[in-house]
Order: sequence, then C-alpha cells, then structure tokens
Amino acid sequence: MGKYVIRRLLWMVLVLFVVAFVTFCLMHLVPGGPWDRDKALPQTVVDNLNRKYGLDQPFLIQFKNYIFNAVRGDLGVSYIYQDRSVTSIIMGGFPVSATLGLVAFLIAILVGVPLGIAAAIKQNSFVDYFAVIFATIFASMPNFVLGILLMIIFSVTLHWFPTSGWGSIRQIIMPAFALAALPAAYMARISRASMLDVTRQDYIRTARAKGLTERVVLVRHILRNAMIPVITIAGPELAGLVTGSFIVESLFSVPGIGRLFVQSVSQRDYGLIMGTVLFYAFAIAIINLVVDILYGMIDPRIRYD
Amino acid sequence: MTDTQQPNPSEMAEVTQARPHRTLLNDAWIRLRRNRLAVAGAIIILIFALGAIFAPLITKYNFAKQDLDSIFLQPSGVHWLGTDELGRDVFARMLYGARTSLAVGIFTQLIVLLIGLPIGAFAGSKGGRVDNLLMRFVDIMYGFPDILLIILLSAVLRGTVFGNMGGGIFVIFLAIGLVAWVNVSRLVRGQILSLKQRDFVTAARAMGGKGTYITMRHLLPNSLGPIIVSITFGVPRAIFTEAALSYIGIGVKPPTPSWGAMIHDGYNVMFTAPHLVIVPAVAIALIMLAFTFLGDGLRDALDPRSRR
Amino acid sequence: MVKHNDGLKVSRRDFLKTAGALGLLAAAGSSIPLGIFSTGCSKSNAPAGAQELSVNLAGEPAQIDPNRASWAAERSVISQVFEGLLGFDKTLTVIPVVAKELPTVANKGISSDGKTYTFNLKNNVTWSDGTKVMAKDFAYSIVRMLDPDLATEYASFYYPIAGAEAYNGAGTKTAAEKAALKAAVGVKATGDYTLQVTLGDAYPVFLQLMSLWPVYPVREDVITAQGDKWTEAGNYIGNGPFILTEWVHQDHMTFAQNPKYWGTKPKLTKITYKMITDANAALAAYKNGELDMSGVPVGTEKATMGDASLSPEIVRNADLTTFAFQFNVHVAPYDNLNLRKAISTAVDRASFVDKVRGGVGKVALSWIPPGMPGYDATLGTEYSFDVTKAKALLATALTELKLADASKLALKFQFSDTASNKTIAQFLQGQMKDNLNIDLTLEPMESKAFTQTVNSAKHTWAWFGWGADYPDPDNWLPQLFGTGAGNNHTTYSNPAFDAICKTAGKELDNTKRLQEWADAQKMVIADAPIVTMFYRERFNLVKPYFKGLTPTGMDGQIMGDQFWTNVTIEK
Repeated sequence: MGKYVIRRLLWMVLVLFVVAFVTFCLMHLVPGGPWDRDKALPQTVVDNLNRKYGLDQPFLIQFKNYIFNAVRGDLGVSYIYQDRSVTSIIMGGFPVSATLGLVAFLIAILVGVPLGIAAAIKQNSFVDYFAVIFATIFASMPNFVLGILLMIIFSVTLHWFPTSGWGSIRQIIMPAFALAALPAAYMARISRASMLDVTRQDYIRTARAKGLTERVVLVRHILRNAMIPVITIAGPELAGLVTGSFIVESLFSVPGIGRLFVQSVSQRDYGLIMGTVLFYAFAIAIINLVVDILYGMIDPRIRYD
Repeated sequence: MTDTQQPNPSEMAEVTQARPHRTLLNDAWIRLRRNRLAVAGAIIILIFALGAIFAPLITKYNFAKQDLDSIFLQPSGVHWLGTDELGRDVFARMLYGARTSLAVGIFTQLIVLLIGLPIGAFAGSKGGRVDNLLMRFVDIMYGFPDILLIILLSAVLRGTVFGNMGGGIFVIFLAIGLVAWVNVSRLVRGQILSLKQRDFVTAARAMGGKGTYITMRHLLPNSLGPIIVSITFGVPRAIFTEAALSYIGIGVKPPTPSWGAMIHDGYNVMFTAPHLVIVPAVAIALIMLAFTFLGDGLRDALDPRSRR
Repeated sequence: MVKHNDGLKVSRRDFLKTAGALGLLAAAGSSIPLGIFSTGCSKSNAPAGAQELSVNLAGEPAQIDPNRASWAAERSVISQVFEGLLGFDKTLTVIPVVAKELPTVANKGISSDGKTYTFNLKNNVTWSDGTKVMAKDFAYSIVRMLDPDLATEYASFYYPIAGAEAYNGAGTKTAAEKAALKAAVGVKATGDYTLQVTLGDAYPVFLQLMSLWPVYPVREDVITAQGDKWTEAGNYIGNGPFILTEWVHQDHMTFAQNPKYWGTKPKLTKITYKMITDANAALAAYKNGELDMSGVPVGTEKATMGDASLSPEIVRNADLTTFAFQFNVHVAPYDNLNLRKAISTAVDRASFVDKVRGGVGKVALSWIPPGMPGYDATLGTEYSFDVTKAKALLATALTELKLADASKLALKFQFSDTASNKTIAQFLQGQMKDNLNIDLTLEPMESKAFTQTVNSAKHTWAWFGWGADYPDPDNWLPQLFGTGAGNNHTTYSNPAFDAICKTAGKELDNTKRLQEWADAQKMVIADAPIVTMFYRERFNLVKPYFKGLTPTGMDGQIMGDQFWTNVTIEK
C-alpha cells in the first residue's frame, strides 16, 4: 500500500504539471487579456502593465518562470487584486470554502444516504416516492433559485438568519443547505440504486439462507458493498464542495475561493486562474487517491498492483 | 428460470439452451412494458418530444415575436403560460425550447454512456497499468473545472466537421458529453473493481470465460443501477450547462429559447414574474422525473436475475 | 451569478466587473419578494439613534491605492479616506478642498499662457495620524502615479503635464534615464504649502483632472515602509473624513470617523460596505434590514414602483452615462450613411425605455448626457422614431449598396454575455425585423472576448456605454471619435472633427471652447456612427431613516458615495 501511495503521488506531480501547462496555454489562447478594458487603456499603459507582470517575455519563458516559482511555493500576484499574492488570496478563501463545503458534504451524506437506504429497504413505499420527488426537485432547481428562496423564507420572512456574510454559525446554515441539496439528492438516488443491486446478489441470498439475521445481512453484507458507488461519487463531490461554489458563494456573499475562480477567469487574472486551477486539481487528485484507498479498505479483495 | 449468476456449468450453456427463443433485449422489452411507472416516464418524454417537433401546430405564437405592450403578463387564456420581458409567449418558448433542451439532455447522456461505460469497464476489468493510465487521464480531466474544458472543446470542435451540424448544436452535445463521461467511467470502474473479485466472476473465469464476455455478461449488468442514476442526473445538468454556454456565444443563439436560459433570464424577475422561472423549471423536473422512472424500469428490466 | 448592476458596458470607472466567462453562472441577476411574501418589519443591529450606515459595494475593490485605482468600487472607498487639492461639489462644479482657492488667471494661480498652475494649500489639513498634509505629498503622489514601473491605469489622463508622457513611457529605459525623466516631470513643491504644475501645452480642463482620485495625496513614508500592504486597514493613512478600520477581504469594509479630520466632522460614526454581488440577494438584505440602501434587479423596476410599501423608498438619479449601439463604419455595409440613419430612425427608443427598461433612464437622441456642459436637447431629433422615413432611407441605402433587398444585408450584432444585454440585443433584433424587415444575427460573446473584439475593431455593430470621468465634452468627444483615438471603436474618422478637437482642447476662452465642442458633437450625430439609446439612471431603494443622501451624476459604485458627510440616520 505504501508503495502504491508513493507511486500515486508521483503521478500527481505529472498530473499537476499537465494541468498547469494546458491551463497556461488555454488562458493565453482565449480571446481577451487582463488589460482589455471596456475603456481601452493606452498602449504605453498596457506596455507598463505587461512589463510589470512579465507578460512581455516569450510564452515558454513565462511558463518556465511560473513553474520555477510555483515549485518554490510562490504562486505570484493576482492581476485583479494587485496588492495581494495568489497564495494569500487562496489561503484566505480556502478555509471558508472548505468549512462551508464540509458542512454541506456532511448534510448531503447524512440526509442523502439514509434516505436512499430507507427508500431501497422499503421499495415502492411512501419513503421511496418521497425520495424520488425530493431528488427530482433538487436536481432540476438551479441552486441560485433554491438559495434565493431560502433567503426570502428564512431571512426576509422569518428573520432567522442574516442573508449574507461569513463568520457565525447562523451564516453557514443557508448556504450549506443550498450547496448540499443537489449532492444529497444524488447520494440518495445512488445509494438506493446500489442497495437494490447488492440486495439482489446471490451472496446476499446465500447469507440469508445461512440463517443470518436480517440486521447482520444488512449491515455486514449489503451496506458495505453498496457503499462503493457512494464513495466513488462522494470523492469528486467532496472535492467540488470544499473548493467552493461560485453561485452559492456569490449569492450569500461568502468570501470563499469558488467565486474567486470564476472572477479570475472572466477578468483574465492569469495569476489567480493558475493558482485556483492548480489548487483544485491538487484537491481532486488527493481526494481521488483517498477514494481508491477507501475502496481497498471497504472491500479487501480490491487490489492495486 | 435460469439464474445466470450461479457458478455452475449450466450457466455457460444457457445461451444455447433449448427454451422459448427470447433474447435478453426481447425479454427486457416485455418487462419494461409491464412497468407502469416506466411507461408513464416514456409517455412524458414522448409528449415533450412531440410538442417540440409539432410546436408550430400546437401554438399560433412565434417564439421570437415581441409585443412590447404585453410585457410580463401572467398566464391567461390568451397567453397560456404568460409572456416574458419582451412580451413573447412563454408557452411557445417552452415548446420550442424543448427542441434544444431535450436534445441536449438526451444526446449528451448518450455520448457519456458510449464513452464512459467502455472506458470504465475496460479500466476496471483490466486493472494494473491500463487502469492506472486511464484513471490518471481521468484525474487530469477532473483537474480542470468542467466549464473550462467544455469551452475549450467547443472551440476546437467548431473547426471540425461537427462544426455546422444542426446549426452548431452538435458541438454542444459533443463538448458536454466529452467532459461528463469521466463521472460515469469512474463509477463503472469502481463497481467492476469490486465485483470482479466476487466468487461468481472468479468461477466464470475459471470456466474459461473471456474477459469481455465476463464484463458484458456479469460485471456490467450488476452495476447498472448507479450508472442509470448518474445518467439521469446528467440530463438536467447538461440542460443547465447548455444555458451557460449559450450565454458566452457557444451553441443556440438568441432568440432561440432553451429551458436553462429561460430560467437564467427569469431569475432577475423571479418574484415579480414568477412564471418565467416556474415554467422551465417544472419542464426540466418533469423530464428528469420521466427519465428516473424510465431508468428504474430499464434497470429492473435488464436485470439478469429477474429474467423469466 | 455575477455582479451585474446593469451589465452594460460602461467606462472604466463605471464598469462593473462582470464575471463573464462563466457567464451564465453569472447571468442571474436578482429580485425581491414583491407580493409573494410580506416583508415584515426590518431589523437592524444598530441601537436607535446610532449614526451607522450599511450599504452595498457589490464586490471587492480591486485595490484602493488612489494612484492606481480605476474602478467605481475603488472610488467609493477612496472618496471617504482621501481628499484632493480640488474636488467636485454636488452640482459637479470644481471647488477647492485642500487648496486654499481655485487657481485662476486673476489670482495668479494660472499663468496667462495657461501652462503653469500654482496651488496654494491650506495649512491646517492633517493626515489621519496627525501630521500635516503638505505640497510634497501631492508632488510625490502625482509623480508616483506616472511611474512606469507602477503601471497605473489613469496615467495617460495626466500626459498634458510636462514630461509626464516621456516618464510614463520610459519602462524599458535604464534606472538613470528613468531618474532623469522623473526629475523632469513638471510637478514641484515650491514651498511647504505651494505646489506648481507645468503643462506641455494649455489644457483648460486641467483643474477637473486635478479633482480626480489619481492625484489625491499619498504618504511616501507609509508606502516605503509598508509596500503593497499599505492599503490594508491600519496602514491606510488618508486625509479624508473617514478612516478604514477593517477590511475583511471579499466580505466587508468598515469605516469610522477620522479623529484628526481638519474639516467639519461627519455625523456618521460608522459606515459598513458589504460586498453582495447578486441583486436579488442585495434586495433581500435590504428587506431584512442589513442594508440601508439597495438597487433592484433589472426588470423589476416597474413592479417596485407599483408596490405600495416599496414605492415611497425609491430614489432615482440621472447618471452621466450614455448607452448606444456603435457601428464599425469601415466595414460594409455599415459604411453606408443612409443605412446607419435608417437603422437609427427605425429604433423605437421610447418603447425601449418605457417598456423594456421599465421607464428607468431617459431616451437619448444625442451623445453628451443632460446634466453636464455640452448637452444639446435639440440635437439628433432627426432620428426620432419614424418607420416611413426609415424605410425610405433604407431604400436609398440599398440602391447605393447595389443590393436587391434587405435580406442581402446580413447584419450582425455583437454583445457581451449578461441577461440584460441579451434583452437589449433581442429588442434590437425585433425592431429591425418589425420595422425594416431586416434579419439581424445576434452574436453573444464572453465579456473579455467581446471587449477584445471591439478594442481591435473586429466587431461590426456592438452595444456600449460611456460614463463621465469628468463632466466636460473633452472627456466625451476626442477620445471616442477622434481619428485613431484609443476609445474610438466606431473607427469614425472626420478631418473636420479632428481639427476642432485640436483647437478646442486648448482653447482658453470657455464660451468659445464649448461652442467648438458643440460643433464637433453635431458632426458626430450627423454622421451617425452610433445609435444613441438612453442616458442611465440609478434606481435605488433607500430606508426612510436614511437622511441627507446626496447623489451626483458621477458617483462611484454606490449612489451618493461622494457625500456620506451629509448623511444622518434618524431612527
């Protein structure tokens, strides 16, 4: 296992390099640069800005400089927030997004998985239909619509929570629910489907035939095996949630990195684009590695050579 | 009933067994028709599809015709679902919008299935180096935010033969599909990694079953449930992605409507003209519900164990 | 969901940093529960009688260094913490602030050739740490603003200063050469409280430029000691009525009274700037008592006016901002004058403003907006909506273009990605179809891609807006319609117009100068490189206890943000 993890980490370096290179090419190829302002800047000013940010260098030199600095832990400065380093912006926003994302993830798991399991156990019951309706509504309602509805109900009408900002538990609840709705729906449906798949397997029948109690069968055999797809989707969902959501963060004015990424792309903030994309790719790679390790722990028969 | 999962020799012989001539698909079709919810799902999809195709016969309104004196009208006998910010008939826009959104929802998921299923199955069943390479590629795909990749792909694809197919909409199907398959492939791979160690698979292999045969016959059918759910959730996701793309000049151009764009355009006035958000949202929800029912039915129908 | 005030393309100062790429994500604007939910009573955290104001900056300012700032949100911050030699009063007239008096030829503040300006400073103005504001602080600030290595965006506005352009363009020169050019810049503190500025040529609007934020004073010792950190709360030493006490990035900013302020102390003891980007969310915050002022989502204005509880809280104010469609007049068929005139005459501006935009804004038939010198109400009346006339013009145009019918025109229109731009584009498409039977192809683009297309003149026909940097035709004509000018995206070129720009730019007789600009604007309107549509109006809800709000036509991101000093809270 140790060797496997080390190999995966080495692979991750390669993955990050590829992601960095492709993103770097992409952002320079996309039409429009950071200094394309609605009110056009004079050439002298553009030249000064290019020189300041090293954009007057040849493309590959720029990339080389970026990588060399990045390896030393220096992700450069933001092109929008010119007084702030990319590292400090990400480090300021990530804890916020991560906290919100983790809370949302826990809500999604704690609501979604039990709901899915209940729906599977009582197939075609009220619980099952409720779960279907719940999932359909939250998957077909964009989260900005859900978010603003929450705000109108819980802030404007009931005055339970403030509409915006960050720092207190009361400010986490609404954005976390807005964020958790879709993953919860997805988890519920996936765990139901997976449960049903496993329940119909022969070894479950065998286990029952052996006279094991329903409870033991459920916990030891069904649940364990049914969790494989849940873990598979939980990985990327978790990565997506902790790295922030543009829509929910913007709607609830949460100072996370989700909206920074979108801003950086739309403003062509090259420094912040690279920083946030690499950070995101790093988070995804780590989480996928953890998922693969978890597979092995849940089902010892899965081996990686 | 022959249970294909039994690790006994009769399993291999099943194909040639002399019993009423019914193929797997034939069987599945019969079972699907008996599932009332699945039939209801199919009917909903059919209604929307027919509505989209025969839209000009169903409504007298042109989806693009503006009437500045009838802006933001509530639903009424004249305008069944009201009018929008330029006085256009929302029912007509919903019908014509189905052309874009249904097609995007369905075709992208077909592409996802066609790519994600084989790659995931291949990685999972082969394991080792192949699995590692494919999954690191998936890591790279995951490493980019989806929308970035989709924009890139659309730009690339527009230069190819697909560029002008269906007025550019084909590019949208491909771009979304080519990005979304990674989710399904990881799901399939995870299932297969787990299933392939099971006794019945080991037995099948011991009896000389070929890798592909085992995958098709044993591994895939037993992991369909989560895959179908993932595809079902992919439908609204693709519909919303299309809306995001149409905003940045990729795909259907205004005034051609799509459900996702209708919701986004309506968000500003959500509380003063709620029908502009409710109509497309309900349409998307109905389609998703229909696919859920159909998907569940399909999964049950294809289940080898419930074969009679 | 992006911050999108209006989503329209406006000047640098006024433009909203629209998160474009992921447009849609963004596109969502916002709205309120009119009718559906009752608003209930508003709650506020502040005790009764507290002079505390909470308003929405609608996003994080990029950076708040006065020399480098260029966005509306940044100006909303800088205006509280800094004061310049000169400033604008609420009628947008230039007034002395740190300067003792307005320099004139009569008081020897301006040399008779109009090239040398002498500013005498008040000697009782202090920084928020108690030290005196002196002429050297202004000299340092202006020269720093021109530093090529600092790469400030408004530097080119100050190129009329002798040696400014040479120094700002010296980025590739050696340190010694830079130092020499820096020393040659025509800005000198000739005494503790006397600043002399020499121009390369006479420039009558120079006093207006000296009223803008890029030349507000900054502290050399603070900037040297703190580097990039000098704009953080605590380091941000200014000379204005307020100090920045807290800046939680991406979340909020807080201001308190500057205890060392030299002038009349403001009534407000605390101002909070929130950074709510979504218009629906901002309105919800307003209704929940978290904001004392808020805009409403685009498209809900009419419903808001019809809402009994909200309509008394509406405050509207005309902005010095004009929106128009611009043609690329060097691309066929847009190079045909009669076609441009036909299109301009075929657009029903009144319906657009009254119906599509809910009556917010004012129909624009000419370019320079009302409320500033240069506005001419009689101009452009020939473009009043008239389908018959438009059709006749179109027929002439088609003959000249040797086209059989309008379907051969293949007109294309580009716009950047927001929901409100999409509405405008579709409105135009409908007008072309209904009134001229022209099929217009719409080409939505991601916002930066759109900007680049327009800046490189690859567009055919596009939507744009211009907001005043300073209220003078000098800011509205040569930069946009002069041959080859930086913001000339119509590629309009008229030697007669260029000639006027040259003389009017340095004409010292103000009456004559304004007459020349009036003639220049007439030429532009007659040649129809643009189809002017409307003058922008701000439309906000303001709590009844929020007294003394003083909007101007050139506010920053927040309506009234230039005069928080007039505001009191009367709960």
